[in-house]
Amino acid sequence: MKCLEIADVTYRYDGSTEAVLKGVSAVFEKGKVYTIIGQSGAGKSTLLSLISGLDTCKEGEVYYNGKKLRNLDRDEYRSKSIGVIFQGYNLLLNSTAVYNITLSMNISESDIKDKKAQKEIAYALLEKVGIDRETADRKILQLSGGEQQRVGIARALSHDPDVIIADEPTGNLDEATEASVLEILTRLAHEENKCVIIVTHSENVTAIADEVIGIRAGKLLIGEKV
Amino acid sequence: MYIISNAIKNLFRNKGRNILIAAVTLAIIISAVVTLTINNASSVIIDEARLDIASRVDISIDLFTHGRDGRQTITVEQYVSFADSAYLRHTVFQAEMQAWFGNFFAVGDFEMGLTPPPDPNMPHSPVGKLTGHSEPSHISGFGTYRHFVEGRMFESINEAIITEELANLNSLQLGDIIHIESAFQHGKHFELEIVGIFSHEVDEVEAFQSIVWEMMGFSLPSMISQNEIFTSFETLMSVGWETADGLDMRLEYYLRNPNDLVRFEAEVRAKGLPDVFGVTINQAALDRVTGPLEGMRSAAMTFTIVILILGAIVLVLVSYLAIRERKYEVGVLRAMGMERGKIACGIFSEAIMITALCLIIGLGAGSAIAQPMADRLLAGEVETQAEAVMGAEEGGRVLMSGGQVQTDDPASGYRPISDIEVAIGMDVIIQIIFIALALAAVSSVIGIIRITQYEPLKILRERA
Ligand SMILES: Nc1ncnc2c1ncn2[C@@H]1O[C@H](COP(=O)(O)OP(=O)(O)O)[C@@H](O)[C@H]1O
Ligand SMILES: [Mg+2]
Repeated sequence: MKCLEIADVTYRYDGSTEAVLKGVSAVFEKGKVYTIIGQSGAGKSTLLSLISGLDTCKEGEVYYNGKKLRNLDRDEYRSKSIGVIFQGYNLLLNSTAVYNITLSMNISESDIKDKKAQKEIAYALLEKVGIDRETADRKILQLSGGEQQRVGIARALSHDPDVIIADEPTGNLDEATEASVLEILTRLAHEENKCVIIVTHSENVTAIADEVIGIRAGKLLIGEKV
Repeated sequence: MYIISNAIKNLFRNKGRNILIAAVTLAIIISAVVTLTINNASSVIIDEARLDIASRVDISIDLFTHGRDGRQTITVEQYVSFADSAYLRHTVFQAEMQAWFGNFFAVGDFEMGLTPPPDPNMPHSPVGKLTGHSEPSHISGFGTYRHFVEGRMFESINEAIITEELANLNSLQLGDIIHIESAFQHGKHFELEIVGIFSHEVDEVEAFQSIVWEMMGFSLPSMISQNEIFTSFETLMSVGWETADGLDMRLEYYLRNPNDLVRFEAEVRAKGLPDVFGVTINQAALDRVTGPLEGMRSAAMTFTIVILILGAIVLVLVSYLAIRERKYEVGVLRAMGMERGKIACGIFSEAIMITALCLIIGLGAGSAIAQPMADRLLAGEVETQAEAVMGAEEGGRVLMSGGQVQTDDPASGYRPISDIEVAIGMDVIIQIIFIALALAAVSSVIGIIRITQYEPLKILRERA
């Protein structure tokens, strides 16, 4: 089922002459894992920020469930419909891992209001990505890069979004954790019918993808490994 | 609501910054509480003093400016007519008549026993004073340096009270009738019944003066306060006065509102008061009485303004730094889909909570130190003023032509208000709450506005 669509999008950063994306189009469906690959600076993160509603394009459209993203309440879209795993994690550094998760649940106006219940869900989510309770109660500043990345993944899943977007989610993980994270993401797509989009350099990731999209010279190469 | 609980958590996450903000806010609130409390209490007292002193208007010739040459007189009726004014709440009628005693002798009259001058049309030399008062309670000294030895205050017409010395000298008793005549206007003649005899403590200046006179062989009995006889204003006026010759009219006009002085003056000028007469309040006395309070008030005000300015600068600086510090946090929250309004609400709640805490502590601490602070400030001001007054009085003593020592200080006899009771009132609490809200605004709103305008992506990219 068609979930996200980008149609004829051209994107140019303010002040730069060369467009990063040049009239690109693609369709993303629920129940599938997509990987986006390309050289550093190709425009992968740029594409993700357009999809995640953090940025808007001046030419072309991004559709979510058939509606133009630019007309939606993008705060609500970000907090409820989509979960983003940022390349730079973007966690609240002075808060604990578990607090980062429960705050995300609150922002998305989760049905679970009870603080204890929220916390239990957060611990369980963190456990799934390999963060034990003791680590979950530490501040983000006191976690390693790999641990922070896993907290970022747990946060993206915390509000049960339709679309999960990940910018190099396994870059800092060891092989074993990478495998378990990939397993979670594939299961989300295949069993829970989510649309999962992953930017990656890793061969292991492209291996599990249902579809691979390459970016080169501002163009999308659908189904091609670059 | 999670926004509030997040705000509370944030207070502890950024302890250093928040303690700094709290300290500055607390300093501002405490000094504002103290100043406002002191200010309000002094205002009430100053207003009372103003009503007490500055509402009293004197109409008299200013001899320092115009001298005796410019002397003009106004009639007794005119003096009385000025009292008929809508601006006045009250008038105290008083007049002093230079008196010659008919059937008894004056204290200190060394030519005692001399008959009046043979020519009855020539003025007598006065030997005493007959003072008429509309309000016996306004006669100075009763209860302090004047005490009844016998009898009572005059009540009905043609009753009088005399000093103990005068009574002893002449063996006068209650019920005796004394004859008194105007020294300057023949035929103005009184026969008064003695209803009271009072003692009179002579002050240092007068005691010294009489010793000097005695040594010099002077005889100025009319200057001696023992020769002052008091009766009612009605009695004094009952003989009918065509001119005020030999009469010193001392009416005290009390304004309803001290601010009406100018309008009252215009009114009495319209009734024919010549320019050489001044229509004045005793400003010097008012200044003497309220000076230290005013001084304290402005000292407290200056202190608070300094604290406010310094505090505001620190708060703005801290909140500017806080913006930079919190930019990333806001970017993350925005990226997570938290609305600008909710973020602003959270930041504002933090500021409000800090301020509310400071408000409670500040009101408590401020009201606790307001009284000791006021006492210290006022004591300092009173001392400073006392030194200044002493200097001024030394130069201000003048020897009058009659050999009388007088001071030209119109504030002489007035003591400054030297204690004040301050207590925090509802009005101060409300004012402080507004100040506190303003502080919360200063320490958050600027930041909120700036911070929520950023696009989250921009903030996150800047950091990456
Ligand atoms: N804020 C920006 N302003 C201008 N150019 C940018 C900005 N961010 C990224 N770029 C440029 O856009 C291109 C694509 O960047 P990005 O999408 O981050 O690449 P990728 O994620 O594929 O490595 C790069 O050439 C990068 O230099
Ligand atoms: Mg990138």
